[in-house]
Amino acid sequence: MQTIRVGQLVPGMILAQDVLIPRTGVTLLPMNTVLTMEMIRRINSFSIDEVYIKVPERSDKEKNEEILAPVMAETHEKSVAAVERVITNFRKDSFTQEAIDGLVGDLLEQVEMDADLLLNLTHMKSYDNYLFSHAVNVSIISILIGEQLGYEKEELNQLGVAALLHDIGMLKISVETWRKTGTLTPTEYQEVRKHPEYGAELLAGNMSSEIQAVAAQHHERYDGSGYPRGLKGSQINYKARIVALADVYEACISDRPYRERLTPQEAIKLIVANQEGFDPQILKVFLLTMAIYPIGTFVRLNTGEIGKVIRVSKNQPFRPILSLYFDRQGELLGQPIRLDLSEDVNHLLYIEETLSASEHKKLSERVATAFSNRPWG
Amino acid sequence: MKAEFINPFIGAAYDIIKRVTEIEATKGELSLANSPVRGDEVNVVIGVTGDLKGQIIFCLSEATALVFASRMLMNLTTETFNELAKSAICEMANMILGRAVTSLSERGYFCTLTPPALLLGKNVVVSTQVLKFLVIPLETKYGPITINAALQEKQA
Repeated sequence: MQTIRVGQLVPGMILAQDVLIPRTGVTLLPMNTVLTMEMIRRINSFSIDEVYIKVPERSDKEKNEEILAPVMAETHEKSVAAVERVITNFRKDSFTQEAIDGLVGDLLEQVEMDADLLLNLTHMKSYDNYLFSHAVNVSIISILIGEQLGYEKEELNQLGVAALLHDIGMLKISVETWRKTGTLTPTEYQEVRKHPEYGAELLAGNMSSEIQAVAAQHHERYDGSGYPRGLKGSQINYKARIVALADVYEACISDRPYRERLTPQEAIKLIVANQEGFDPQILKVFLLTMAIYPIGTFVRLNTGEIGKVIRVSKNQPFRPILSLYFDRQGELLGQPIRLDLSEDVNHLLYIEETLSASEHKKLSERVATAFSNRPWG
Repeated sequence: MKAEFINPFIGAAYDIIKRVTEIEATKGELSLANSPVRGDEVNVVIGVTGDLKGQIIFCLSEATALVFASRMLMNLTTETFNELAKSAICEMANMILGRAVTSLSERGYFCTLTPPALLLGKNVVVSTQVLKFLVIPLETKYGPITINAALQEKQA
């Protein structure tokens, strides 16, 4: 139990004792009530200074997260290392689909276990060698889109493999070029733009034509503005259209040698601003899956509190589940409060704004320090 | 019906529409009508309980709703009123209500609002608990959005 000034009450907090109307003894709200925005306004309208709130019990789901998160983080790291091994040791004559099938099998399993938690975790980490973490994360996001499109296991596996290998042509481009922090020279730029064709060549003979097509076409754009061939609409392989979207999103939300990451919402905005480049059906599914406020986005509620999106609600892209970390005065809460905006009682709360990339960085650091035992939320 | 508890809804609708869609709305001629409310193509119904009782019903055409939805979705082109567009319109309603409830509480009215229910189709007819309702047309350059307010104070 904890006393808290009414000015610091946050929706989702739970009363440890009845709240009485002063001088009357009449119960305004009984103990165990989960506070909503309207209730907090009601409490504020009386001259009540403090109320007692209790430490919420962890739901089974949260207890499960605590066990699962470290395991998933480790598995993800292992996947990145395994992908690095397989891709860097790639020899055209010795490469087989089996080697990569096992890797994708692991990813499929993780997505099935808890996709939201997985996205949340992959998002917090920054890798030196982004080529391989990028491959893994694009594969995860592609699988998620594929699932929503109704793909069966075999198709999902193909999509996962294709996504994992989409950038393999980068192996033929000098490390100095793709890790360069400054602007590329025209020659370097021309070279980088050849990686889809290099990739398809490397995969020819060993991999299905569809996997080759994804490598060859993941930079093609639906409106014909892409490269290398300027293919349009249905000329582009369907899986390549999925991977193209996942590729752009993942690249935007990761740090790159030449720029810092965008916030997940900035990435969504950028994609929608360039919507002509993407298959509209896939884009719709993508927005319903990743949401308007994707996992990892720091947001401010209309009531002033700040939290992070930790889960998305199916088919409710504006109503994610948040972990609130700061009260409306900007003070760090004693512990994060989980708030599900898709629940009916919370419908009057809404996201007033998303915070900028520089604020994201500061907030992530503060949250990771304050809640080091469960920084994912 | 008192302006005191109708104005927060009009003000909130005006503010939120302007902020999230960057579309300016102007208030048209108010009128009084008798229950039931006859809907437009897209209707959002909200129940009100607490210090006030009744319903608020927003009505607009699908074409207008699509423009609003597109703005909510960062200017995504949506040709049909699909899941994304529906969720965007419901979110706009939530935002208007969240804002309205705040200004109602500042005026001493404490209400609970039901989550918005989206009813599609011109044949929608909503019978209101309060027999007379106020019709508040908000005009925008993409078509009108009509707020039908059937509200009364709780009898002490």
